[in-house]
Amino acid sequence: MRASIAAEKAGIRGTPIVATGFLGQARATARALGLENLAISEYPGVPMTDSPEELRNKVAGVLVDNIIRGLTSSIEPSEKPVEPGPRDIVFKGTLKQVHKFFYENLWTDGLPIIPPTLENVDEFLRFTDKSPSEIVGILPLEMREATVWNIAVNGVMAGCLPEYMPVLIAVVEAIAEPVFRLGDAGSTPGWEPLIILNGPIIKQLDFNYASGAMRVGKQANTSIGRFLRLFLRNVAGFRITPGGTDKGSIAATFNVVLAENEDAVTSLGWEPFSVDRGFHRGENVITVQSVAYTSPPAYSGGDNPLDHMETLAEVIGRRSAACWVFTGVHYGKWFPLLVISPSVAKVLAKGGWTKDDVRRYLYENAKVSVALLDKLARQCGNSTFDLCEYVDQGIAPKVYCESSDPDRMVPVFMRPDWIGIVVSGDPGRNQNKGYIQNHEQGPPVSKRIKLPWNWESMPKQPGA
Amino acid sequence: MREPVYQVVWPLGKSAYEILPVADIASSLGGKTVCELWDWAFRGQEMFAVIRETLKQRFPDIRFVDYDKFGNILGRNDAEVIAALPALLRQHGCDAVISAVGA
Repeated sequence: MRASIAAEKAGIRGTPIVATGFLGQARATARALGLENLAISEYPGVPMTDSPEELRNKVAGVLVDNIIRGLTSSIEPSEKPVEPGPRDIVFKGTLKQVHKFFYENLWTDGLPIIPPTLENVDEFLRFTDKSPSEIVGILPLEMREATVWNIAVNGVMAGCLPEYMPVLIAVVEAIAEPVFRLGDAGSTPGWEPLIILNGPIIKQLDFNYASGAMRVGKQANTSIGRFLRLFLRNVAGFRITPGGTDKGSIAATFNVVLAENEDAVTSLGWEPFSVDRGFHRGENVITVQSVAYTSPPAYSGGDNPLDHMETLAEVIGRRSAACWVFTGVHYGKWFPLLVISPSVAKVLAKGGWTKDDVRRYLYENAKVSVALLDKLARQCGNSTFDLCEYVDQGIAPKVYCESSDPDRMVPVFMRPDWIGIVVSGDPGRNQNKGYIQNHEQGPPVSKRIKLPWNWESMPKQPGA
Repeated sequence: MREPVYQVVWPLGKSAYEILPVADIASSLGGKTVCELWDWAFRGQEMFAVIRETLKQRFPDIRFVDYDKFGNILGRNDAEVIAALPALLRQHGCDAVISAVGA
């Protein structure tokens, strides 16, 4: 789509080939890139499951006609619709009527919302020194302005408390960074952003970092997670049906905020995740990264660190992350996240293991066969997957092409320093979990949370 | 008892895109140079082979510039690839572009 638009910008007619199920997303992308009526050439059906003969017949019999029409027919220039201003009242009604109106306009996720009245929004704005009109970023897919104002509006709707506002702004600052590639948030793996939180604000705002850390149920963790999904819907423009701008094939629901157990980390002599990300201990920091899927829960036991590491390498490495490394190798980026429970981290630290030792062990001991990578990559749609070519191009490390044996074993984790480690979850159990990140889409981006000048004296409500 | 009435604001943001002009078109592909762009995925190599063959049957003097002249439009350097496209398309004398595959 972007390539065809680039051609049009150069004054050359372009037509993208788009499979039927992706027409809605293609049309929305074209609109946001300034050419809503771009001539799209439809490939009927699903190319990845057609036989060679079916594909040939569809291309020769249908697609080529669509291409000729697309390249030789005139199209109308786009027009921008008139839209409301920030403080315009767009609806008046009872709670039920507000829900219905927002749902019918695709502005909410199906759950009830807190009505974004001017009073509610203004209450949120008290918790930032920024101007409501400040533009935090321009968000693809729909290329809309993310402002302090609409951050507050969506925060109200999600059920956040006003004092969460500094966290909400930092989250949007992170996803607005071009390196985050938010425009790919509607891709078929259906990845979901995960917010990781560090700093004293965890306790100040009553985040959960213990049992059930990743389950809905605590207002701060839950409502901020929901806020981000609402913001992706309303400002970035990713919606499931109708419209289909979000093409997550099966996808998953939003992640609640993952807060680190910093007391546990400190007691081990380890540094928190935010320090690994380049910040100082004690700073309030959010990191946002994508999650394509999670591993099975990996229970590791005993007082010998090696026993734990063998289980982590097996369950989170070979049985889970191994299924996605081909995407990392293709794009040359991949940042899986390991969440370790405090009791397991304690065994590791007591045995003298640092976080770098954990990363190194996983890198050296979790292996996957090239034959499996090749098969998974090609069935996913990667038509030219070739590990040695990636190595030749400098995209993948040399270890991925040390021979031509298709059954050779290569590392699951591309680089030790790309493995994130967070200590969280039930301190009374010995469980760990992998959060498998989606290559160059949604790499970890961290932002310092900027508190208002009078933060300490401002009233904060106890969390639900 | 009467239910409270809420006056609510819009949760979206101002559109920041610019409307693009529409490119000129040819009435026929006869004698034209068609350039191929590909994202190295979703069986585009098979599609382009059939597209070339079928279009050549209908327009014998059509000319193609292969996708490998332009780079992967959805790879790790896609921003650079797309930024370089206008100059490359002109350099190859492209009259029209087919980009693939959205799936």
